[in-house]
Amino acid sequence: MFTVSEILLIGTPNSGKSLLFNKLTGLSQKVANFPGVTVEVLSGIANFNNDLKIIDYPGIYSMTPISTDEKVAVENFRKALGDENLDLVVCVMDATRFERGLHFALQVVQECQAKKKPVVLLANMMDVISKHKVPLDCKGLSEALNIPVFPLSAKTGVGISDFQNEIKKKVVDLDFSKQCIDDIQNMDKATLRKYSHDLSKKYSERDDILIKSQMKLDSFFLNTWTGGITFFAIMYILFQSIFTWAVPAMEAIEGGVEWLSLITLANIPSGVAHDFIKDAIFGGIGAFVVFAPQIFVLTLIMGLLEDSGYLARAAVICHRPLTLFGLDGKSFIPMLSGVACAIPGVYAARTIASPKRRWLTYFAIPLMPCSARLPVYALLILTFIPNKTYAGLIGYQGLAFLGLYLFGIMSGLLVTAIFSRTKLAPQSDLPFVLEMTPFRMPSIMPIIRSSLNQAKSFVTKAGPIIFIVTVAIWALGYFPNYGEDLSSSYLSHIGRAIEPIFLPLGLEWKYGVAILVSFLAREVFVGTLGTLFGIEGADEQVTGLVESIQASDLTLASGVALLVFFAIAMQCVSTLAVLKKESGSWKLPVKIFVTYSILAYLGALLTYNLISVM
Amino acid sequence: MEKSIWKLKAGQKCVITEYHSELSPSYQTRLKDLGFHPGEEVQCVASPSLGAPKLYKINNAIFALDHQVAQGVYCE
Repeated sequence: MFTVSEILLIGTPNSGKSLLFNKLTGLSQKVANFPGVTVEVLSGIANFNNDLKIIDYPGIYSMTPISTDEKVAVENFRKALGDENLDLVVCVMDATRFERGLHFALQVVQECQAKKKPVVLLANMMDVISKHKVPLDCKGLSEALNIPVFPLSAKTGVGISDFQNEIKKKVVDLDFSKQCIDDIQNMDKATLRKYSHDLSKKYSERDDILIKSQMKLDSFFLNTWTGGITFFAIMYILFQSIFTWAVPAMEAIEGGVEWLSLITLANIPSGVAHDFIKDAIFGGIGAFVVFAPQIFVLTLIMGLLEDSGYLARAAVICHRPLTLFGLDGKSFIPMLSGVACAIPGVYAARTIASPKRRWLTYFAIPLMPCSARLPVYALLILTFIPNKTYAGLIGYQGLAFLGLYLFGIMSGLLVTAIFSRTKLAPQSDLPFVLEMTPFRMPSIMPIIRSSLNQAKSFVTKAGPIIFIVTVAIWALGYFPNYGEDLSSSYLSHIGRAIEPIFLPLGLEWKYGVAILVSFLAREVFVGTLGTLFGIEGADEQVTGLVESIQASDLTLASGVALLVFFAIAMQCVSTLAVLKKESGSWKLPVKIFVTYSILAYLGALLTYNLISVM
Repeated sequence: MEKSIWKLKAGQKCVITEYHSELSPSYQTRLKDLGFHPGEEVQCVASPSLGAPKLYKINNAIFALDHQVAQGVYCE
């Protein structure tokens, strides 16, 4: 007799484990990372039994890890097996790729036997097996192994109730100490592989129906012409969605925060408390919560692409050119997302399995010309580039914009190309061996749920860091004259103190202050500069500020140096906070911040001097 | 005649014989875990242009392997 109160789900990637976890737990999920790596463990309470906790382990290819992430995942799985609270291990297999699933399941059985933990197997995706009438004898396999094997479909729900009923009883009438044949524990890798091969042959028929239909679609999606056109169309939709689909929700959030601010401030008299609540609290919250819709939209589309099987094809298409820069095919989407906003780009990079290439992608993303750079680029281009066209067709200002975009992308690729050839990047790498999962209709609800979780996780995890920095910058700009005059605040004192740093670029203290504040978020540069030049609302109407800058002593060399500085510098607290969350420590964001601050300064200095002598 | 599976054209099959000694041991371990072990039949099912990774069918699954990895797997 055996009472079950905590179970652990494990399986290979794409075995449908997460979908099953969603079905079993509904909305009651918690997300946690193993320290130091992008490996997530979910836990939740079963929706059919309030006393049952279900833990969802990340997909693992094998119990022999070959990367740091995999090592951490396997070590933690082994540690969990030693936990006396854990009652049952549930290994999920993809029934459509039975032999591989079984090979992994037998490795799990070995681990469980060593720690005397009971284990059951689930043959998932039985809906596909039934549709194609592929024979699969779960009963025979169960008898051969003396382990319960449940056939089910996490997608359609068929078979789940049988599994739930077994667990619901809270009593499983199996003597787990006698599970499985004794020989399994002593099998070496080769013998275990052969054993899984023989079992698979005996209880399942190798059927190529699924492979044949998959190959037909692959010949379309990987063809140079049809595949290329489809790829660009999908990437265009992805890119546009980050820019446009999220906008109504972003505007609604901005409006909501403003409304809440007005309601709250209505009864608070003018003074420090009033200004603090208005600018630091609501200004700070509004500044980062506004990114949540973008994260939701990107995670949603990425989830749909991944679940449909297309993401693997996109990685194949992009792989070859990106290897020249030390990246791999999966780096493309995070970098493309980074062109809209670095934050969803960083989130998208978690699909890259190789720690080395993920690290390099993290380094490339902040150099992508994100939308926050646009107001700064617009201001400086309007100031220095005449609104004229070449032959009536090519506008100089548009050309300058294009040049800045290409400069950002090429800088990102150049940096990764250099770092990939040094020992600075992590050496833990994975081969580019990518499973081409069968094309299938995505499961919408779990993807929406996971996208909402991702957006919520951004607000709760990165929010506090962003908020603290916002409050600090606000206090420096507000005191000692209570917000009356920014040019005599502590912030301006700091600006004047650091003026010697910016003078070699031909920039006076006002630019130093605006640059300093823009480390919070790039777009703040325009508004701050407007305040320092005495122009209200400069971030919405730049003409006045453009005229003021043109009338000042700022030279073309300094203007272009500023553009180079902004194209390279890592000025976004939200991105740094997300990098910390995703990488598990401050090490990577600090490294990126310092590297790009130094590179931005040196690049600007070089540009200033080159243009000055021309 | 022994050759690397990278040389296979779409539709061609062969049986894996061994790994190139320069292929990292951890890569060899992963390939074996995924089914690319000596004695197993492998078929190239797609060979996209411009040096993109090729698609190989092994057991009942399809994997994309890039040039660096596929060149280290010999077959005949």
